[in-house]
Amino acid sequence: MINTFAQIDYLASSGRSPWHHASALGKLLLAGLVVMLAVFTTSWMLLLTLLVTVLTLCLSARLPTRLILAAAAAPFFFSFVFIVATWAGTPYGPFMRMMRPMVASLIAVWLVGTTPYPDLFAPLSRVLPRVVADSLFLTYRAVFALLSRTERLWRALLLRGAVGQGGARRYALMGEAIGTVVLSGFERSQRLYQTMLLRGHSGRICGCRHYLEFTRSDLAVLGVGVWAGAAALLLWRSGVVDI
Amino acid sequence: MSHLHIPDGILPPVLWLVGLLLMLLLTGLSVAATRRTGPQQIAYQSALGGLMLAVMALPVPVAGLHYCMTLAGPIGVLLGWASAVQVSIVVTVILALLGQGGFTVIGLNAVVLTFGAVLARWIYLRLATALGPGRAMAIATAISQLLSSAAWVAILAAAVRLRPAAILNHDVHDMMQFVQLSLLATLLLPSLAAAVAVEALLAYGLGGFLGRVRPDLLPQPAPERLPSSEIPST
Repeated sequence: MINTFAQIDYLASSGRSPWHHASALGKLLLAGLVVMLAVFTTSWMLLLTLLVTVLTLCLSARLPTRLILAAAAAPFFFSFVFIVATWAGTPYGPFMRMMRPMVASLIAVWLVGTTPYPDLFAPLSRVLPRVVADSLFLTYRAVFALLSRTERLWRALLLRGAVGQGGARRYALMGEAIGTVVLSGFERSQRLYQTMLLRGHSGRICGCRHYLEFTRSDLAVLGVGVWAGAAALLLWRSGVVDI
Repeated sequence: MSHLHIPDGILPPVLWLVGLLLMLLLTGLSVAATRRTGPQQIAYQSALGGLMLAVMALPVPVAGLHYCMTLAGPIGVLLGWASAVQVSIVVTVILALLGQGGFTVIGLNAVVLTFGAVLARWIYLRLATALGPGRAMAIATAISQLLSSAAWVAILAAAVRLRPAAILNHDVHDMMQFVQLSLLATLLLPSLAAAVAVEALLAYGLGGFLGRVRPDLLPQPAPERLPSSEIPST
């Protein structure tokens, strides 16, 4: 996951596919619809249709194959544990339990891979309490600075032999290293506070209003939404699996 | 283990709806508790939330495997319950947007993460005076990790119990359940033990370091109430 943040952020800002030009609100609504259909359907045919649809979305957004594969594999561990715990001898249950999270994870990556974070967080910040909404923006910004710092620190620990120490000592040293990042985070938060005051922070980070700017590309998003809805109507009762 | 984010489509709706309601309740309580919070505290909790995400991205070598830390315990100790709730929600939302954990289960994932963080602070405050910051943070982290994992297993068990599929053959079902539970225990218990040990040792290093360098960042246990006879008269 170490480069995933930076990679997704870059793709979202620099991508040129039609999905990148569509409004954040439309894409959020489409993602919500696909997740709800995937979660509630008991039809393997509909689930397969949704999987093909989200894969097409990811590929047409020109997301890197490695990122798509990582998103598809991310829910594997938990799904595997649940499949083992609930397997009743038929292949349908495991199939559904693998496909559902895969569809949801892929649509999430398509959403963040095609939407810059200020546009993505802006509609969310309208429904969240002020403290949480501001935290959402500031946490995402802080990740990049802290990631690079933590990465440098980790490399230094490796080069200076801290990782080669005996078990308990090694982890305690790593803990101390994280302590230096906590201190840096604290100092960073104070600088950020002063910057916010200087820039006239009004008590709320609102984000931009681009998320409401509908373009011609939104027709494509609407088309996919209609396609998913039609598929649900047609296939809801086909290939129903009792899981 | 509190970092194992549950994906979409695994749990029955009743469970994740309860999770969302719990999250809403916790959010309301934490927002009320931090009503007078200024931008400085928001900036600090965001920095620690960012650190949580950054640290989750770093693989720690454990016996040939890579383990991803959570720092839920130490961050709960540093922030207190109200900010820990908000950080857990924000971190869970960002992770869900990255495909790590589902949208529908944001509530449950955030509640499990919050549970570990809040519990760690409560334990830390009771141990810090006697054991010092390093050991207190290690023990608080270990216990909170264990109980977070127990919460995670309880969610899994509830999901299995609430599964709608009917099983006709009870003998086969009992035998399969025994095999399944043995397999899960074999897979999960060693990982759990390693995760708790690594998190506790990291917390030990972190707590000890902050105790030496910036003890003012660590929460101070409330002073014990003196018997009235020992209160100096003015």
